[in-house]
Amino acid sequence: MQLRILPCNPWLNFWPQITRMMSTDHFFNPRNVGDADEPRFAGRSASLACGAHVRFSIQVDEAHAISQARFRAAGCSDLVAAASLLTEQVVGLTTAAAATIEQEQADVDPQCARLAREALLDAIRDFSNAARDDWAGDEALICTCFFVSERTIEREIQARGLTTVAEVTSACNAGGGCGSCHQLIQEILATNDLPR
Amino acid sequence: MIYLDNNATTRVAPEVFDAMHPFLSDVFGNPSSAHTLGREMKRAIDDSREQVATLIGASDTSEIVFTSCGSESDNWAIRGVLGTRPEKKHIVTTLVEHEAVRNLCRLLENDGYEVTWLGVDHNGELDLDELRAALRPDTALVSTMLANNETGVLFPIQEIGRIVHENSEAAFHVDGVQAVGKIPINLENVDLFALSGHKLHAPQGIGALYVRKGISLSPMIIGGGQEQGRRAGTSAVPNIVGLGAACRLAREDDDHAHIERLRNRLEDEILKQTPNARLNGAADRSKRLPNTSNISFEYVDGQNILMHLDQAGICVSTGSACHSTTHESSPTLRAMNVPYTAAQGSIRFSLGRYNTEAEIETTLSVLPEIVAKLAAMSPYDKELAALK
Repeated sequence: MQLRILPCNPWLNFWPQITRMMSTDHFFNPRNVGDADEPRFAGRSASLACGAHVRFSIQVDEAHAISQARFRAAGCSDLVAAASLLTEQVVGLTTAAAATIEQEQADVDPQCARLAREALLDAIRDFSNAARDDWAGDEALICTCFFVSERTIEREIQARGLTTVAEVTSACNAGGGCGSCHQLIQEILATNDLPR
Repeated sequence: MIYLDNNATTRVAPEVFDAMHPFLSDVFGNPSSAHTLGREMKRAIDDSREQVATLIGASDTSEIVFTSCGSESDNWAIRGVLGTRPEKKHIVTTLVEHEAVRNLCRLLENDGYEVTWLGVDHNGELDLDELRAALRPDTALVSTMLANNETGVLFPIQEIGRIVHENSEAAFHVDGVQAVGKIPINLENVDLFALSGHKLHAPQGIGALYVRKGISLSPMIIGGGQEQGRRAGTSAVPNIVGLGAACRLAREDDDHAHIERLRNRLEDEILKQTPNARLNGAADRSKRLPNTSNISFEYVDGQNILMHLDQAGICVSTGSACHSTTHESSPTLRAMNVPYTAAQGSIRFSLGRYNTEAEIETTLSVLPEIVAKLAAMSPYDKELAALK
């Protein structure tokens, strides 16, 4: 529980019970079970430690906002609740916002929540890779979450003497979403690593 | 509430409660006291000892020692034998033992003991040739269970005991916790035998250890001279009386056929109704406890099934224990080479004397729907479709 609100709110005393009830409800009545309608983008995550397996699938509209999210899970009740909650939370968010979502209010095992988020992230990367390949603009698109082109990244690298992916991200947002373009940014950094 | 978790614990039988009740109210005293009250307590304990000895077929009541639980009995048997044979540093046990034996032997490995871990086949059965080959001149102890707590698979302890005694000087300890009260016990070739009260409708907090005459055991608890000086501590008279009454009940009732009939009905129907159900343990029912069915529902999670059954008022266990600290599937099922996706979905149904036909029918009407709902949610949709 990360939530911190003023202690004078009497509802706060019941907050743990409320969140527990919420996640219990999501376990017994999971929302958005199954596969998103075509065309969909899918991701998986699994834990070797506990044997759990989640599949997340999303539909993304032209504005790169998630219009539908569905999941399948074979795992404990916390995992089912976490995945179900996540499907409700990400609909309407851009892929960039969804990729960096912090799932705070769910009273579930943090490991299970993380596993559900990893499957979502994997689905967003699936979308990003496809969107990058399909991109028909003049400049090559690298970061599909924040629409950053190769030329913009090169310009930032040269202007500021950037040497790491993290520096590129803080300079122009590229790589700050799903992370599927980190490898590409690394390659751009390598080709621009000219002696000064 | 439909209770199908009798291998975890059982409810205290009314007959047991009635026998214990006076000892929790007006009948009291320390059995070590010489006065009338003390002597009355001692008599009650002797009666119970007689009942335990009769149930498991001990030749003399002096071979029965009361303990606080099954785990204490197992721990004491193992440590007690090792304590009297300090020169022998080898133990033989199996990979499917209860934690009381398994974890203790793991600990002893760190203390300079060498442990041979016998595996099991896919039915959960031992290879007796492997056992024979494992025995050495320095083997102090062989410890196996009689009935597996998760699958109900029975080990042939007479045969094991014969092999142990013919081929080594080792003592043979049997963890009989899960078997007592469910099947007849035969102590031939057995040196030590652990049992626990709460598995046969006595209260929790009472166990016993059978120690064959001539087997010396170093004491675990040092103190007064209770239990013939072998296990100190004021006797828990009400619990001991409860165990005695439970043993009498187990001997005199003829419920075993009833329990077995219900279990067979449950098992047959589940395996028939559910496409992704598979039995864990020997298909030959004579090789398993009559009350236990361990069934895997492939590609779904056992803990999910447990929670849904719980909501429907049905109590079962799962082999895929997932705690906040440890996430692992059952070592027993892993030793049996049950595939990962099936071990995760294992459910143990363990029946008892108070289960009724109506309860089994209710379970059979609720379970397929739950499994179907979870199967529809499974990411292994292709694998599940292939089963149908």
